[in-house]
Amino acid sequence: MGDFASITIGSLSIIIVMLPLLAFILQALLGKRAVSGNISLVAIVLSTMLSAFVVFPAIWQEKTVQEDMTWFTIGTQSFQIGILLNNLTALMQFIVCIIALPVHIYSKAYMKGDPGIHRYWMYLSLFCFAMLGLTISNNLLMMYIFWELVGFASYLLIGFWFTKDAAVQANKKAFIINRIGDLGFLLGIASIYSLFGTLNIERLFSEGGLIYTNLTNQGGLTTFAGICFFIGAMAKSAQFPLHVWLPDAMEGPTAVSSLIHAATMVAAGVFLLSTVFPLFNETVLLLIAIIGCITAFIAAFFALTQKDIKKILAFSTISQLGFMMVAIGVGAWDAAMFHLVTHAFFKCLLFLGAGAVIHEMAHLKAAEGLDIDPQDINQMGGLKKWMPKTFACMTIASLALAGFPLTSGFLSKDAILIYSFEWAMEQGSLYLIIPFTLILVSILTAFYIGRLIFKVFFGEFKVQVSTTNLHEANRVMLIPMIFLATCSLFIVFSFNPIAYQQAFIMLGFPVTHAAQEIAVLHVLLPIGLTMTSLIAWLIGWKWYVKQQYPLQGNNFLMSLSFHQGYFNESYQRLFVNNTLSISHGLFWFDRHIVDGIVNFMGTFIRGLGKLSDWIDRYIVDGFVNFIGNSTYYIGHLLRWIQNGRLQNYLGFAFTILLIGIIYLILT
Amino acid sequence: MELIIFYIFAFIVLTSAILVVSLKNTARSLFLFFVVLFAMAGLFIFAFADFIAITQILVYVGGVLILMIFAFMLSNKQLLEDLQNTSKKFLSLPNWQSLLVAIGFLVVMSYGIFEWQEHTPRWITENIHKGAVIGPSDNNIEELGIKFMTKYLLPFEVISLFLLAALIGAAHLSRKEDHS
Amino acid sequence: MITLTHFLLVSAALFSIGLYAVLAKRNAIMILIGIEFIINAAILNLVAFGKYDKINYGGQVFALFAIVLAAASVAVGLAIILNLYRKHQTINPEQTTDLRD
Repeated sequence: MGDFASITIGSLSIIIVMLPLLAFILQALLGKRAVSGNISLVAIVLSTMLSAFVVFPAIWQEKTVQEDMTWFTIGTQSFQIGILLNNLTALMQFIVCIIALPVHIYSKAYMKGDPGIHRYWMYLSLFCFAMLGLTISNNLLMMYIFWELVGFASYLLIGFWFTKDAAVQANKKAFIINRIGDLGFLLGIASIYSLFGTLNIERLFSEGGLIYTNLTNQGGLTTFAGICFFIGAMAKSAQFPLHVWLPDAMEGPTAVSSLIHAATMVAAGVFLLSTVFPLFNETVLLLIAIIGCITAFIAAFFALTQKDIKKILAFSTISQLGFMMVAIGVGAWDAAMFHLVTHAFFKCLLFLGAGAVIHEMAHLKAAEGLDIDPQDINQMGGLKKWMPKTFACMTIASLALAGFPLTSGFLSKDAILIYSFEWAMEQGSLYLIIPFTLILVSILTAFYIGRLIFKVFFGEFKVQVSTTNLHEANRVMLIPMIFLATCSLFIVFSFNPIAYQQAFIMLGFPVTHAAQEIAVLHVLLPIGLTMTSLIAWLIGWKWYVKQQYPLQGNNFLMSLSFHQGYFNESYQRLFVNNTLSISHGLFWFDRHIVDGIVNFMGTFIRGLGKLSDWIDRYIVDGFVNFIGNSTYYIGHLLRWIQNGRLQNYLGFAFTILLIGIIYLILT
Repeated sequence: MELIIFYIFAFIVLTSAILVVSLKNTARSLFLFFVVLFAMAGLFIFAFADFIAITQILVYVGGVLILMIFAFMLSNKQLLEDLQNTSKKFLSLPNWQSLLVAIGFLVVMSYGIFEWQEHTPRWITENIHKGAVIGPSDNNIEELGIKFMTKYLLPFEVISLFLLAALIGAAHLSRKEDHS
Repeated sequence: MITLTHFLLVSAALFSIGLYAVLAKRNAIMILIGIEFIINAAILNLVAFGKYDKINYGGQVFALFAIVLAAASVAVGLAIILNLYRKHQTINPEQTTDLRD
C-alpha cells in the first residue's frame, strides 16, 4: 500500500508538471482564438490544488519518493529521467505553484487588451512547466535541461514587446549572461560525473550519499565543481558580476517580472546550491559568502538613487538574493531557503503593487496626453488617497522586506543575520566584515524601500493635471495582492513571531550548524535592526515627504549609484565591443578570403573553361579544318592537270619526259 | 679565226633568242626574231650548207617573218592593244616551272652531247676516213638539184602537195564568216 | 676547229629557249615563235650532221624540207590563232579553257 501510494504521489507530481505543458500546447494551437487565458489559469489552478492538498502534505516530513527510468545509453553509461520528491523539492514545487496562481489571475486584468496576449499565456504556461519540472528533477542532467528551458522562457517573456528595441536588447543580454551560467552548470555536471560516475541527486547528496564517502579523494576537482555550480547559480540569481541582466529585464510586463524575476526563476540558483550543498568545501563556501555579500551591498547602493520604480525593486531582488547566498556561504542553507520562500511572497507582492501603480499612471498618460514615464517615481506622489488598498498591501510588503517585526521577512532575515554572526565569530574576527556588511545592507534596504513608498504614496502628486482620474486597481488585481500580503505576515510561517527556529520550514531541513549559538545575538540583532530601520524611515520621511532634501543631486556617489556602478558601460567596453570587432573581422575574413577563395576557384574554373573552349575551337576544330583544307589544297593542286590550258598540259608532258630521261640516264 | 666568228654568230643567235622570249613588247620580239633567223643563216654557212642558208633567208625571213609581222600589224585595234602590254617593265618575269623544264632539257641534252663525244657514230668516222665530207669547194646547189630529182623525188612531190594543202587549209580557216 | 659538238650545243640551247617560249609565254604568237625556234634548232642539227654526208646529201635535203614544213605550219598556225581570237576575243592561251573537263 505504501508503494502504491508513493507511485501515485509520483504520478501526481508529474501531472502537476504536465498540466502547464498541456496548457502551453493548447494555447499554441489555438493561437489568437484564445485570449482570455482561461486555459493557462485552469491548468495552474489544478496544479496548485494538487500540490497544496495532495503532494506537499504527503511529502513534507514524510518518506522521500523517487522514481526514474532510463532515457538513453551511450556505450555502457546510461542517463535517466525521473522525479525526486523530498522536503526541498516538494516545497519548491509548492512555492512555484502558489506564486504562479496569483500572477495568472493578476495578469488577466493587467494584460487585458494587449494585442499579443495569446503569446503571453503561451509563454507563461511554458515557464510554469519548466520551473515545475526543474524543481522535482531527479538528476542533474534533467535539472540542467529544465534550467535551460526556464532561461528560454524568461528570454521570451522579457522580449514580449519585441517591437521595442530596449526589450530586444534586454532579452538578448539576459540570455547571453544566462548562457555563461549554464556553461558553469554544465562543467559542474561534467566534474561530478567524472568524480562519482552518476548524476542522481539522491545517490550523491542525501545523507548516506556518495559525496560523503569520496570527499577526500580529489580536492581540486571538487573545488572546481563547486565553483562551476556557483557560477551557474550566479548567472541565474543575478549575483555580482553577472547581475547586469536583471535590471534590464524589467522591460518585460510587470506580472512577468513579479513571477520570474522576483520569486521563482532567480530563486532557482539558490535552490540549486541548496541541492548540491554537500559538495562545497571551505574555500567554495567562503567564495559564495563573499560574492553574496558584495552583491547585496552594491545592489542596495544602486537602489538608493534609481527613479524607475521597477528598477528599485529589481536591485532589491538582487540584494536579497545576495543575502540568500551569504546564508548558503555560512552553511545555513535552511535559512537561505526560508528567506527564499518569504522573499517570494513579499517581492511578488511589491511588483504586483508597482504594476497596479504603473497601470494607473499609464491610463492617466493616455487620457490626458501627457509626456511622462509611467514608471518614474518622481512623477508620482500622494497616490495613497486614490489607491488605498494598493498602498496597504505595498506597505505590508515593504515592512516584510525591511524585516520589521511581525512580518515573515523579519523571521527569515533574522535567521540569516544571526547565523552569519555566529559563523564569523567562530572563524575569526576578519570574517566579521560579512555580518556587518549585511547589517549595513539591511539599513540601506529599509531606507530605499521607505523612499519608494514615500515618493509614490505620500506627498503631492507631481504631474500637473487638471483632474486626476486615478482610481484604485480593479478587483481582479487586488485579490491576488491581498492574498500575497496575508502570506507576508508571520503567522503563515511560524506561530512564534520572534523565534525563527520554530518556523516549519526551518524544521524541515536537517542542517547542522557548526557554529556555536550565541544567545545574546538573538535579542540584540532584532532590536538593533528595528531601531535603525525606524531611524532610516524617519530620515526618509523628512527628505522625501517634507521635501527637505539636503544633498546635491550630482555628487560622485550619487551618480555612481544611479548609473549602476557603470557596470553596463564597462562590460560594453570590455566584452561587447571586442566581440563585435572580432565578429567584424571574421565577417571580413569570410567575405574576402573564404568567398575570395571560392570566387577565385570560380574564376579559375571559368578560365579553364575558356581555355578548353580555345583548345576546342582552334586545336580540335583546327585539326579537322586542317584536314579539310589540305584535302581541298591537294585537289586544288591536282586541278591543274585538267584545267584546259594548253601550256599546262605541255608543261606536264615535258616535265614527265624530262624526268623519264633523267631516270634512264641515271640507271 | 673561224671559231671566233662562229662564237660571235652563236652568241648573237642565243642572245637574240633569249631576248625574244623575255621582252614584254611583242613587236620588239618579232624584230629580234628576224635577227635570230639571219644569225641562224650565218651558222648554216659554217656547216658548208650555203643553199640552206639562202633558203632560210628567203623562206623564213622573207616569208614567215613577214607573214607574222603583217599578221601582227594588220590585226584590228583590239588585238593590238591586247598585245601591247601597259606594263612598264622591259623584261617579263620568267615562269619558273617552264624555266626549270627548259633548263632541265638543256642539261640532259648537253649531257648527252658530251657523253656522245666518245661514241661518234660509225658512219661519220667512216666518212671522215673516206674523205666524203662536204668541203668549202663543193658545188652544193648542183648536187642538191641532182639529189632532189633523183633520189629524193617522192618526198619533194609530197612536200609540194603538203604545202598546197596547208595553204588551202589556212586560207579556208581564216575566211570571213557570214553572220546573218 | 669547229667540231660537231659546237653546233649541237647551239642547237640544244636554241631548242631549250624555244621550249621555254612554248611553255611560258601568254601570247599565242609567241608560242608560234617558240615552235619556230624549235624547228630551227632541228634544222641546225640536220645541217650539222649533213656536213659529213657527201654521198647522200641527206642532211641538207631534209633541212630544206623542214624549212618548208615550218612555213606551212606557221601559215596554218596563224589561221588558227585568228579563229581563236574571233571566238574568245583574246589570244592568251591561259584564257581559252574550253577543252577542260
